[in-house]
Amino acid sequence: MNQAEGVPSPAPARTGEIAFDRRAPGLVGIVVKGFLLSLITFSIYRFWYITNLRRFFWSRTVVAGSPAEYLGTGKELFLGFLVALAILVPIYILLFVIGLLSPILATLAAPISFIGLFVLGQYALFRGRRYRASRTRWRGIRLGQDGSGFAYAGLASLWWLGTIVSLGLAFPFMRAALERYRIDHTLVGQSRMRSTATGRSILMPWMMFYIVALLPILASVLALLAASGFDVPTDLLIQDPASEKSKLIFNPDYADTPLVYYAGAVGIAASVSIPLALLLIPYYRARETRTFLNAAHLGAARLNSSLKARQFYFPYLVYMLALIGFILVLGIILALLVPLIATNGENAGIHAFVIVSTVLLYLGAILGTNVLYVRIVSVRLWHAVATTMQIENLPALEAVLASTRAPASGLNEGLADALDVGGALEIGF
Amino acid sequence: MEAITTTGTFFDGISARPRSVTLRLTFRLDIVGEDVARDWSLLDLRAADAAAPLMRVNHAQGPESVEFADEAFAQALMARCPDLNRTEGGSGVTRLVLWSIAAGLSVLLTAIYGVPAASGLLAPLVPQAIEAQLGRSVDGQIVTLLDDPPLCNEAAGRAVLDRLTARLSEGMALPVAPQVSVRRHKIANALALPGGRVILLSDIIAKARNGDELAGILAHEFGHVAARDPMRSVITAGGTSFLLSLVLGDLTGSTVLVTVGQAAISAGYSRDAERAADAYAVAAVKRAGGDGAALAAILERITDADDEKPDGISFLRSHPFTAERAARIRSLAGEKPTGSGILSEAEWKSLQGLCPEPAKPEKAKPEKTRPNDGKSPTPTEKL
Repeated sequence: MNQAEGVPSPAPARTGEIAFDRRAPGLVGIVVKGFLLSLITFSIYRFWYITNLRRFFWSRTVVAGSPAEYLGTGKELFLGFLVALAILVPIYILLFVIGLLSPILATLAAPISFIGLFVLGQYALFRGRRYRASRTRWRGIRLGQDGSGFAYAGLASLWWLGTIVSLGLAFPFMRAALERYRIDHTLVGQSRMRSTATGRSILMPWMMFYIVALLPILASVLALLAASGFDVPTDLLIQDPASEKSKLIFNPDYADTPLVYYAGAVGIAASVSIPLALLLIPYYRARETRTFLNAAHLGAARLNSSLKARQFYFPYLVYMLALIGFILVLGIILALLVPLIATNGENAGIHAFVIVSTVLLYLGAILGTNVLYVRIVSVRLWHAVATTMQIENLPALEAVLASTRAPASGLNEGLADALDVGGALEIGF
Repeated sequence: MEAITTTGTFFDGISARPRSVTLRLTFRLDIVGEDVARDWSLLDLRAADAAAPLMRVNHAQGPESVEFADEAFAQALMARCPDLNRTEGGSGVTRLVLWSIAAGLSVLLTAIYGVPAASGLLAPLVPQAIEAQLGRSVDGQIVTLLDDPPLCNEAAGRAVLDRLTARLSEGMALPVAPQVSVRRHKIANALALPGGRVILLSDIIAKARNGDELAGILAHEFGHVAARDPMRSVITAGGTSFLLSLVLGDLTGSTVLVTVGQAAISAGYSRDAERAADAYAVAAVKRAGGDGAALAAILERITDADDEKPDGISFLRSHPFTAERAARIRSLAGEKPTGSGILSEAEWKSLQGLCPEPAKPEKAKPEKTRPNDGKSPTPTEKL
């Protein structure tokens, strides 16, 4: 961000830049304070921590010269969480009692509660987005979101069903359909945003991911199923009698059947494809983010993103290197502690010291990874998405009028927190 | 007062259109532009979060705001506006932290003291049918955990066991008639389950030297049944793990903390239950005419010496140390009675034959698996 951009020139600019200062001074303090206070307050402080993080990221994102404002408060989030808890606790207790009383129902309870919580999670995601939108202000204009959380949850569930039935081929179409629903119900003041995202536009990156990462596993599993007449023996993998019970080996009884080849193929496909899949996820996400941003517009004003896939790889690479360095430092500290334990285990003082320092080391490790993650991954991803974005035809955006709609209530996001879906910061719209 | 000026942008809060203005700071803030003229009191200015040098100032009443990028002007504004960084409602982090700690501690204390106490009151209220149903499903889980050991049902031994059960439970105020089942297993142990179910593992019969020792074991489990300990531990386990995950819920690594914490709480509580069951067993065996101290002898025999060293995880033990238990049992039992014991020599022989060795040797099973080693919350009362 440079100073000249801070104030728009009197002549109305045609394009608006989005700036974000990657150095992010003051962020580490927020993370450290948030983590430590969450620790001693039994994690109740996390709502205020999330609020502080969002205030930081919002206010450092300068859109066409004006910073965004986050108006949410920790108290709203906390109250929303309490209300969501009051809804969820009876459900959890009911599931617990059913599981205890009836083994037959207990086996059914797991899938049923998984599906129920999935649908509820989608609902919570949409409502959480409504809260965040209504707490976002730019140049005095509030954003907003209408639409129904239930409709979104229904849409998402049907699309997921379709995706599973089509063995993953419908995935990009699902993503586009949900993106359209989200963006079409996003308002800037009185003006409604529109998205022209299509599944076809992200079909190529998805197919690349699909062919490399998913297809080998799917094909080999299908082959295994076909070879066994869609009736895989449940004892195909047994516990290794020679060693500890947790280790699974291939049942020697099936050594002479063709199943062994297919099962081997599944193993090989999985061991090659899963690492490849992990490597390709940032690529797909970057492509999807760029395509969806380019498809969003507000009247004549359009977003234009030139996001590169490498900008999504680089943060993770730096994060991994930082993490390795951090683990090395921790390892050295641990190596200094170990002789203490070995030489003088009887002494009560040393014993207490070792326990205390282990706990401190554990907490320090979590704090360190948190700081590194926010500082490197969150900041860099946010920076990459923000600074590669431009607003074309800015005057159309500047013409929007504020809305008189009341802002959404803080209860909207409580469910999302209670269900642990959606993060404090979501990259992209 | 010295006047400072800078250029900035004015927003009316109705539209997003920027208007260039000149800001002039005296004892008020003058905003003058092409079609704008404002004269704001310094008390009404509220700063929004923004990275220096950019500054955004909202008017406290109404939607209007100005933005500028001038560090010197921002400094002067901060010096002259008392309420610039005031947030409505106040933040009060200290108060928040103290209240949160108080709330968390209250939940923790409820988990440690309240839930075990409540479970003692609630357990007798659980309808018999539900407890029996629960016992059935727990029985199934335990059998699966133990790798499906076969039941032992040699008729002669079974008859002796039934007689022994009847004699021991005669003077006891048991809520239900106990159902004792014996399964062949290489671990010397016995378990009490909800609904009056008791499982004896065959190795404990093999390790017992006389009828009084086995009677002691059996009476100990009946002691748990009488105190409704299995049902209480179900309620306690569910309640404490729920409360603990509530207060520790979202911290990283919390599952470990919840498991350890729950084990510590239920173990501390079950050590008391064990001592009570021991005393109960001594009394019952004496009443039936046996040697109450025999329980101490078999406990010492089946205890793994390595398990008995006090160490960092002693607080996780569900049972008191055997030496301590044996001493207490001996002091309670007093003098050895003169009789031959509860079972005659012949009865004891046929009871030992309850679990004959299988005709062909079983496949080598993993030797040292200790099922249900305090890790899973399966509601049982072990020996």
